[in-house]
Amino acid sequence: MARNPLKDSLAVVGVGSTPYGRDLKRTELSLALEAAIGAIEDAGIDRQEIDGVCGTGMDPLAMGGSGFLTLQGALGIEKTTWQKNGWLGSCFVYAAEAVFSGLCDTVLVVQAYTRGPGMSRSAANDPFRLRAAQQRMAGQVLTGQSDFARRWIHSGEPYAAWMARYMHDYKATKDAFARIAVNNRTHATRNPRAAMRTPITMEDYHASRVIWEPMQMLDMDVPVDCAEALIITTAERAMDLRHKPVYIHAMSLGGSRVGEYYDNSLGWTDNSLWISLAGLWERSDVTIDDLDLFFPYDGYTIDTVGCIEAAGFCKPGEAGDLLASSWDAEANILRLGGHTLLTTNGGGLSQGRAGGFNFYTEAVRQLRGAEGERQVPDARTALVCPGSSFFHDPASVMLRTD
Amino acid sequence: MTGVTDADVFAAFPAVLIDRDNIEHYRGLLQQRLLINRCSSCGYWVYPHRPLCPECWSWDIVPTEVRGEGFVFLCTLIHQERDPDAMLPEPVPAAAVELVEQSGLRYLAPIVNCPREAIRLDMPVRLTWVDRGGLASPAFEPAGPIQSGR
Repeated sequence: MARNPLKDSLAVVGVGSTPYGRDLKRTELSLALEAAIGAIEDAGIDRQEIDGVCGTGMDPLAMGGSGFLTLQGALGIEKTTWQKNGWLGSCFVYAAEAVFSGLCDTVLVVQAYTRGPGMSRSAANDPFRLRAAQQRMAGQVLTGQSDFARRWIHSGEPYAAWMARYMHDYKATKDAFARIAVNNRTHATRNPRAAMRTPITMEDYHASRVIWEPMQMLDMDVPVDCAEALIITTAERAMDLRHKPVYIHAMSLGGSRVGEYYDNSLGWTDNSLWISLAGLWERSDVTIDDLDLFFPYDGYTIDTVGCIEAAGFCKPGEAGDLLASSWDAEANILRLGGHTLLTTNGGGLSQGRAGGFNFYTEAVRQLRGAEGERQVPDARTALVCPGSSFFHDPASVMLRTD
Repeated sequence: MTGVTDADVFAAFPAVLIDRDNIEHYRGLLQQRLLINRCSSCGYWVYPHRPLCPECWSWDIVPTEVRGEGFVFLCTLIHQERDPDAMLPEPVPAAAVELVEQSGLRYLAPIVNCPREAIRLDMPVRLTWVDRGGLASPAFEPAGPIQSGR
């Protein structure tokens, strides 16, 4: 018998539709929003009850058109813990499994279709349809446009700007960022898979080239060629397999109403990664005091500071003091609260840029307990925060062993 | 200053995704007016440009000129583009300027007419227009005396 634990546990409670027409002279987003409002009103729920959004399309950046990032911002939905884009019929399934799994309780699915310029002669002569198609073909639906005001759509530059804002608001120095860079490099020196294995000092950090002031070269992850993969199955099945099971204990994503223009970001403690980590703790029996390993995202060191604070290791703005008091000067690594080790593979900063996916594989290896001289003794819990963007779909995952 | 057609706007911004929700903004740029979508029902400024008010769900959105006053909320100095051979002759300050019209309403533009080392977060600035590839483009300059020293 096929496994079907969803049985009778889900229902459709609202529907919304727009008029259909060959030329409605409206954007795809406008149509999507009308349908979305229709469904929400049909269900008779408050929009803030929606905590999961599935938008239209296959763009993983979820930007432009009626992707989830744009939809959530445009509808004024404050917090979601699950987001995805999809198309055809499969998006319904993704959304259903998200509700079943507990990643969200109330999911909004929106699908919009428009008449492309390849579909008829009149469509090909419509400058609006033509421009939309040209941008899409160039892979530049929203990114890569020539307008300066749109420069920060899926850009790294606003992270540098946030680093400056963080230092300004909390009177922080760059030593906090330097300690993260040195910690990750020190761990990488012992990781045979790491791309960057030459030890560095705080002085090396401070002397590195400025890229986007105040951000420097050693604040940024290292672009590499690499791949990572893993297999997930049920806990029941895992009992029969050869390795000690590493359980997925809790998960959360995070979305805020910022949308795709990163200059529009909220306050330091309101951006997506804070929502993601709050969502994680709301679902986890493992507490921060139980944490052996922590993998805060390190695409930029400001991400790491954000993850450390959002996870609750210290109050907002206090990472500098925490990292100074957590510094093991003999080993050149961080021990948060004197115990929790950070990014034992070197992370994106020193093993290499894998979008944080190498956090998952490293955490699993350490929790299995067979990493030889690299093994962290008795590691049983790991909090993994890969790809923890301030803005789009950061993941927080708690892994554990018995 | 009227008479800027849709075709003029498409031609002036060949690499921008002009759509029916933002074309008035770009038509405004060609007339050196900074227009932001605004809800006629509740007065909320809707940016990025979208057809629906995210606060009250009104569809009555009117592109409206802003005063062009604000302060520097976020700023980074861009020293390097992705291609190091395409190094900028001078670092470019890219600032998210929070406009006085609404908390959190920010417009991304360069800071000009100010020594780079004198740019401060929270510094008051005002709108000006600079030549960028032959087009007058929005930028911001200090609205008050420039502070010296770091």
